[in-house]
Amino acid sequence: MEASPLLSVRDLTVAFDVRQGSFDAVRNVSFEVRPGRTVGIVGESGSGKSVTAMALMQLLPESARLTTGRIRFGGRDLQGLSERQMQAVRGREIAMVFQDPMASLNPILTIGHQVMEPLRIQLGLSRATARVRAEELLSLVRIPSPGQIMRAYPHELSGGMRQRVMIAIALSCGPKLLIADEPTTALDVTTQAQILELLRDLQQRLHMSILLITHDLGVIAEFADDVLVMYAGRVVERSPVAALFDRPGHPYTEGLLRSMPPLDDEDRETLPAIEGNVPSPFDLPAGCAFHPRCSYARDACRSGIPAFAPLGATHDAACLRTGRPAA
Amino acid sequence: MTVAAHLIRVDKLEKHYPIRASAFSRRVTGTVRAVDGVSFTIDRGETLALVGESGCGKSTTGRLLTRLIEPTSGTVRFDNIEISELDDAELRSVRKRMQLIFQDAGSSFNPRMKVGSLIAEPMRLAGQSADTCRARVEELLPLVGMAAEHAQRYPHEFSGGQRQRIGIARALALRPDFIVCDEPVSALDVSVQAQVVNLLTGLQREFGLTFLFISHDLRIVRHVANRVAVMYLGRIVEIADKATLYKSPQHPYTRALLSAVPAGRPGVVRSRTEVVGEIASARAVPPGCRYHKRCPYAMAACRTDDPELTDLGGGHQAACHLVRPLH
Repeated sequence: MEASPLLSVRDLTVAFDVRQGSFDAVRNVSFEVRPGRTVGIVGESGSGKSVTAMALMQLLPESARLTTGRIRFGGRDLQGLSERQMQAVRGREIAMVFQDPMASLNPILTIGHQVMEPLRIQLGLSRATARVRAEELLSLVRIPSPGQIMRAYPHELSGGMRQRVMIAIALSCGPKLLIADEPTTALDVTTQAQILELLRDLQQRLHMSILLITHDLGVIAEFADDVLVMYAGRVVERSPVAALFDRPGHPYTEGLLRSMPPLDDEDRETLPAIEGNVPSPFDLPAGCAFHPRCSYARDACRSGIPAFAPLGATHDAACLRTGRPAA
Repeated sequence: MTVAAHLIRVDKLEKHYPIRASAFSRRVTGTVRAVDGVSFTIDRGETLALVGESGCGKSTTGRLLTRLIEPTSGTVRFDNIEISELDDAELRSVRKRMQLIFQDAGSSFNPRMKVGSLIAEPMRLAGQSADTCRARVEELLPLVGMAAEHAQRYPHEFSGGQRQRIGIARALALRPDFIVCDEPVSALDVSVQAQVVNLLTGLQREFGLTFLFISHDLRIVRHVANRVAVMYLGRIVEIADKATLYKSPQHPYTRALLSAVPAGRPGVVRSRTEVVGEIASARAVPPGCRYHKRCPYAMAACRTDDPELTDLGGGHQAACHLVRPLH
């Protein structure tokens, strides 16, 4: 029997009110994350993937509001919680790692201070116990000579080391869910491989769930169990990772996969590209937001938002072509 | 006299920066060896890709080739002209033939200038008439996949991909022979990258352009390059035609770099060459082989002797003590 989900998101819609007007950055997003699994959200800039993560953590900016949606985590509704209760959830139960560790670390405090802080505040450990635990966490993320690194300042570390420190801080209170928002995007490819390997190892040892947000299908292929593909604020496809790559159901997914140049293929003159540009959230095309860039688009795509059509037990796509024989 | 096959010939190029005791001090306490003895050639109409991790000196090399910065020593010959010996007037006339395209073209544009003026700016500076400029802009915009009317708009009205097209039009304005493309698609959305790559390779074929293509993305490089040079800490450690480099890389660093690229297919576990640690600082270049501290095959000789590039036949060279020369 399948384990009940750790996180369940139903019909999440987030609106932003800005000077130019208001728009929905995320529309009707639903998904689940089961214990010990990795769900990847893949999408381009403006697809709503990071806003989805911020909404889960209730860390949306002031200009944003959750218009609809239900977020259940570990059997309770997160929206019902007070800010104080939510603070306890953040860090202790759900932790987050971002793309740019330099922006998240305080430049004038030592690494030791910053790793110890959540241990002392969230877990109430004494200074001495917190220090011992902090060194253990730094070894857990494979930082060499943790005692020395405790005394260092963020600028003295490389990008990869800083990301390891951020992971150590995120893990400090033993979260059940780790949200990793483009955790390797700013890193070189060899460092990226090391960080992904570290996350995979930690996930197995600590039995965490991971919500991985990325624009990189290569990272998704290596790391995710299940995938959500987002485009212009909506989920357009949900699938186990293998099926997504073998039988993409949405033309956008298909286009993304085809435009990734292979490492070991014969030479081709041109790369298969998705024509056009990502639409502005203020000027979304009517109907399916992808239709102006879609080579399969027909009249019906310009009027209604396509519902999800099944491609497998846990695989569906929001496209009118899906589930019917290709014309 | 016959025309040299090489458009670019770089010999023992070095760029060292002094490290001063403080910002106002004259006391030099060390040297950053950003580029440290680099030699290569680029044929007419060819694309040489320069790959490596951040801090390896690839962008500095690109700037040295166009003499945006002065080399510490070594020579750069462009079409048999030694560019470091040119006076300002001579340099200006050679520079028309060499251009740069940057990662984020948008941020280098003056936001108050219309697209037409931005594209024409290099021509105006070269003393061309307003009529010539206008006619050339009308020619250039369709060439990069934009409409002639776009000349009257401002850069902020365009998406990242379109701004990169404007940057390419501007680089083409003076009909250059040689373009340094410095991470030209890294800042773009995945779905737009392929479009811009196709535009660049199409323009190259049409106008016989020669490219130095600087990138950290080994998939894109696999698609665009004829030959690939791998840089590590200011040196080229391996150079070969594309097929050879991707199929039988000889330097342990090249192998590590290639094996770190995610496979791009779920369930495919790539055998990863283990890379420990991260790129050292160009402030403290290790003695012997620069890579020995991270290399799983390092021997005693690697700690003391700096390996030279060894000829492996067919233009393939690698700088490693384990590589046997061609007899």
